[in-house]
Amino acid sequence: MVKMSLDPVQVMSGQVKELKVAPSSNGDSRGSWEEKEEFDQDHLGLTSKPIPPKPENAVTIAVSSRVLFRTEREQKVFEQKGVEEYLRYQIEHENEPFAPGPAFPFVKALEAVNSRLRELYPQSEELFDIVLVTYNHAHVGIRLINTINHHNLFIERFCMTGGSSPIGYLKAWHTNLYLSADADKVREALAEGIAAATMFMPEKLTEVSQSQLRVAFDGDAVLFSDESERIFKAHGLDKFFEHEKENEDTLLDHGPLKGFLEALGKLQKKFYAKGHRLDCPIRTFLVTARSAASSGIRALKTLRAWGLEIDEALFLAGAPKGPMLEKIRPHIYFDDQMFHVEGAAEMGTIAAHVPYGIAQKHNAKQNTGVRK
Amino acid sequence: MVSTVQNTDVKQKDSDHAVVVAVASRAVFEPGAGGGDGVYAEGVAFPLLQALQKVNERLLEENSAESLLFDIVLITTDSQQQQQSSQLISSTKHYGLEVSRFCFSTEEDFSESLLKNNVQLFLSTDRNEVSQTSQKGVLSALLDEYTASCPSEQLRVLLCGDAVIRPDTNPTPASRQAAQSFSARLGKMRQRFGMSDSPLSITLMTSCGGRDSCGGALQTLRSLGISADEAYCLAGAPQGPILSVLRPHFLLSDGFSGLED
Repeated sequence: MVKMSLDPVQVMSGQVKELKVAPSSNGDSRGSWEEKEEFDQDHLGLTSKPIPPKPENAVTIAVSSRVLFRTEREQKVFEQKGVEEYLRYQIEHENEPFAPGPAFPFVKALEAVNSRLRELYPQSEELFDIVLVTYNHAHVGIRLINTINHHNLFIERFCMTGGSSPIGYLKAWHTNLYLSADADKVREALAEGIAAATMFMPEKLTEVSQSQLRVAFDGDAVLFSDESERIFKAHGLDKFFEHEKENEDTLLDHGPLKGFLEALGKLQKKFYAKGHRLDCPIRTFLVTARSAASSGIRALKTLRAWGLEIDEALFLAGAPKGPMLEKIRPHIYFDDQMFHVEGAAEMGTIAAHVPYGIAQKHNAKQNTGVRK
Repeated sequence: MVSTVQNTDVKQKDSDHAVVVAVASRAVFEPGAGGGDGVYAEGVAFPLLQALQKVNERLLEENSAESLLFDIVLITTDSQQQQQSSQLISSTKHYGLEVSRFCFSTEEDFSESLLKNNVQLFLSTDRNEVSQTSQKGVLSALLDEYTASCPSEQLRVLLCGDAVIRPDTNPTPASRQAAQSFSARLGKMRQRFGMSDSPLSITLMTSCGGRDSCGGALQTLRSLGISADEAYCLAGAPQGPILSVLRPHFLLSDGFSGLED
């Protein structure tokens, strides 16, 4: 049962000023932008909407249709009856918008941050840019556009690759984070150096903030490399502690989501610069099994050396993450272990799996079972 | 003066139903490059020709009596190449290209010869040539160095949903009509194949407008009987990076905008 009330009007009103941003103020015009000047603003259909930023200036979040919306019924048609029937079904139901999926609250929160950024920095292109990247066929395009319109989402860019790999397009869009329901696509993206995670629909959803973007990260194999996890898996807990103590002053290597945390930090600083440190609409959390007094020190030192400020660090010393996450209520929580992702989902947290590092070999062997 | 030579190696198409595509021979073969054995080297449009052939091959596999096929004509205006017409013909045969006939024309009669031959699409690497023929009402598309790196097993056509992509081409009602009718036939060809493993792929791209602009273009295509396989809405993002992943053989830029009357 979806508990959260996502009233688009509630989120946007009082925070959005419809700003008309002239093309020339968006920085130098390059060759490919020259044609834009020929256009009448009206032709764009964007007279009352802000113009999307250039990909290289923005923090680009690519989401697939299966995580932005709920498409279980359609998935079933695809799996049971094949692609032709699946497309026919989609076209038949073209005017029925999809329901929100697991990435929906996250995207809404990104838009809320954008509104605040536009208020403070009207000329800046340092914003979130959400791109729909799906390997659906263009036949589903009209239904997806209808759905975006219905939910009043600000998504003006999309790629429907008709079955080809979306990875090349992710790079072309300078993607900072890719969210998909397909673990293989996510792994492909990670292999190309793009932060990515697999999302699942939790059975129940706890309410999340509509005015503050809250992002939580696991430490090892997410923000940091999996080197310490390797020690733990190979030699056990004692050896792990020993190793961490010995290497306290050696920085951990970076993990796949470090860049994304960095991008969030850059935007946070923009709010701080305008006196909004206390009511910053972005808040980040580290939720790690490391212990505060011992193994956690290395994590903190590493973050500090990287110049990354994480707002809250929770050292659980091995305690279950579920209850803590339930208190934090992040819009998204990244973890490399399915065990934790499922545990979080059980308690209503939207968790995303980062299939990176040594834990994946164990994920394959474990039959954790899907706990409903 | 226009002269036409039929390629006796190739079965002639049914002119009432075939889709005539004229390609500048300068694009198919490297100009001036003569191999020792008198065979020209491959030009940038080579993979394109192979892809067109692949479509024909697969169409005939589905239905051996199929008449909706590509009818490929090689057109030469370069007087130098005309002198080497026999080399042109023998090179074509050497590579087994499915070219139905060769047209040799002067520059003045060029557009006329295209219209007379019922050419529905003209492809060339020469920007001036394409601009001229386009203004005369012949649907024309420019090939560039990227065309050479396109696949040869699948014909990839990009339809641009924004009204004006190139500042130098002026869409006339005639060229818009030509674009729509060509694409409609392409759409029909596409229907002969299933969703996956099609030798023909139709992509829609809108460069400047937002999602509603793309949605409108999809509706326009649908009204023309065209189901696009892929769709990209750039909303102002640079085209270059996307095009280099997409790798279309050529782009058609008029007639698909949802914003038009």
